[in-house]
Amino acid sequence: MSLSSALERLATFRTNNTRASQETFEHASVIMKSAQKLGDDGAVPSARRWAVLEQLFLASVDIGRLDVADQCLKQLSERFRDSPRVDVLTGIRMEASESPEVVLRYYDQLLDADPANAAIWKRRISVLRRTGKIEKAVEELSQLLDTFYTDVDGWLELTDIYTTCNQYILALQALSHALVLAPQNPFYVLQFAETAYTAGDLPLALKTFLVVVDMCERDLDSPAQKPPVGISLRAWMGAKLCSRRLMMNSSQSASNTAVPKNLNRIEELATERVLAAYMGQKRDKAVEGKDVVVSWIGAR
Amino acid sequence: MSNSAVSLYLDPQIRDWVLFPITLVMILVGILRHYVMILLQTPPKKLPLEAVREQRALLRSQALRATSANSPIPPMYYQSISRHLSEAFEAGTYLKDGPLRDGDAPKGPPNPMTDPAAMDGMMAGMKTQMVMMVPQMVIMGWINFFFQGFVLIKLPFPLTLGFKSMLQRGIETPDMDVRWVSSLSWYFLNFFGLNGLYRLILGGDNSADSSRDMTASAFGGAPAAGAAQDFSKLFKAEKDNLEFSEGLYNWVGEGVEDRVLRRYGKI
Repeated sequence: MSLSSALERLATFRTNNTRASQETFEHASVIMKSAQKLGDDGAVPSARRWAVLEQLFLASVDIGRLDVADQCLKQLSERFRDSPRVDVLTGIRMEASESPEVVLRYYDQLLDADPANAAIWKRRISVLRRTGKIEKAVEELSQLLDTFYTDVDGWLELTDIYTTCNQYILALQALSHALVLAPQNPFYVLQFAETAYTAGDLPLALKTFLVVVDMCERDLDSPAQKPPVGISLRAWMGAKLCSRRLMMNSSQSASNTAVPKNLNRIEELATERVLAAYMGQKRDKAVEGKDVVVSWIGAR
Repeated sequence: MSNSAVSLYLDPQIRDWVLFPITLVMILVGILRHYVMILLQTPPKKLPLEAVREQRALLRSQALRATSANSPIPPMYYQSISRHLSEAFEAGTYLKDGPLRDGDAPKGPPNPMTDPAAMDGMMAGMKTQMVMMVPQMVIMGWINFFFQGFVLIKLPFPLTLGFKSMLQRGIETPDMDVRWVSSLSWYFLNFFGLNGLYRLILGGDNSADSSRDMTASAFGGAPAAGAAQDFSKLFKAEKDNLEFSEGLYNWVGEGVEDRVLRRYGKI
């Protein structure tokens, strides 16, 4: 593996936020070895060297190579004294081996020095959640989001916490903030629809599933020709589920969403689309799971 | 005009002991200035949590308003967020010093002379100004004192008379050819022209170039102006904006079933 290709690969990981820890670890080890051979700044420009070191640190904590992680952290903290970013890394290293109480005390100390340090605050919340102090985690996360409103990941985390506690209405509320901040992402809309379905708000769920379909198929010239793939298939399935249940007995909506007038047609179209996805291109060759889907659709 | 026939002969010592030293000193002072500026730079002051919250409160309603014409969230959720924000802006929940109590006179923007935070920003501006002004004044005095009236070089191309005041500052002769450059003018040419060289030596984001700072005044730093915002007024205005957007609001799920059915030709 050549040095330049390894560097390039790591740069893509950095920009895409990919968590391929094993691969990152191998690439970064190659880079660090050649950097040692050629002297400090010989092979790798120093600005990139530190970024790679940070990546290597996170990856090695991830795969449990704490010895490598310690080396990286030592170099980083010698170079960047008092850097809040290195403080976060130190905290992550402590989380790997120390008890939660020690880590929490460390984070408290940092937060006392600088209450507006969002990265430390978020780590603290994640530790709280992991140790089962859900109530405290929700409280702190709400405070964090009250200050740093534009943190989409924070809202998604809050949604996740609420969902695991079966608080679907609260989860929907948290998710709606994430939707406002990132309206272009159909995955969040899909999550909203599925959460609404789980909460029992069928008309809202149906509408939101159709919004996902609308978002995904907007740019296709003739959507009827191709079977739905990816999240639009999932959305069609959701639409089918909702419309079928709505036809059987009309449930009322907690958000006062009206049931669509053309429910029959939507149900037919959804059936058609879901079947189209499972029929495959060739008529004779069945797609995996086809029988289950056909029997599910037939069993209304 | 017969002065083109008269040729001056410059002592090579002028080149070695005046022209080169002036250029070299100016370059070195520029580089020194760059490093002094790095030393003088104070890290940006950390804002307390309440101040961050106050600054970012407007982002909330801006995010909500930006999508209101095609909002991704259903009416009930939109209204609850919108109402909540309106009430919070009205009551001043997001203000740094807490909500306004009854009887409190609404404060105007803080006076920059009494606000320590604004004072710090102004001091930083003054410091950079001093670092710029002092060496330039010293160099100019040095040139004026030792090399007054020196002719340093002859430009290799002819120029019109209009350039006389630019190129022969400090030499009051009506007859000399415009191509001769005086010492003081050479200083000014360097003063404005060395930026390209600094960029080569120190990189694009250097603070060695002093001609750029001439345009900035000592007191008008952007951070000082930004700190003096009156958030309670901004929040009041934002409340009206929110009401406007609520009128514009339309859920993207409104009529979505018809849109989808139409695309498949079922309607």
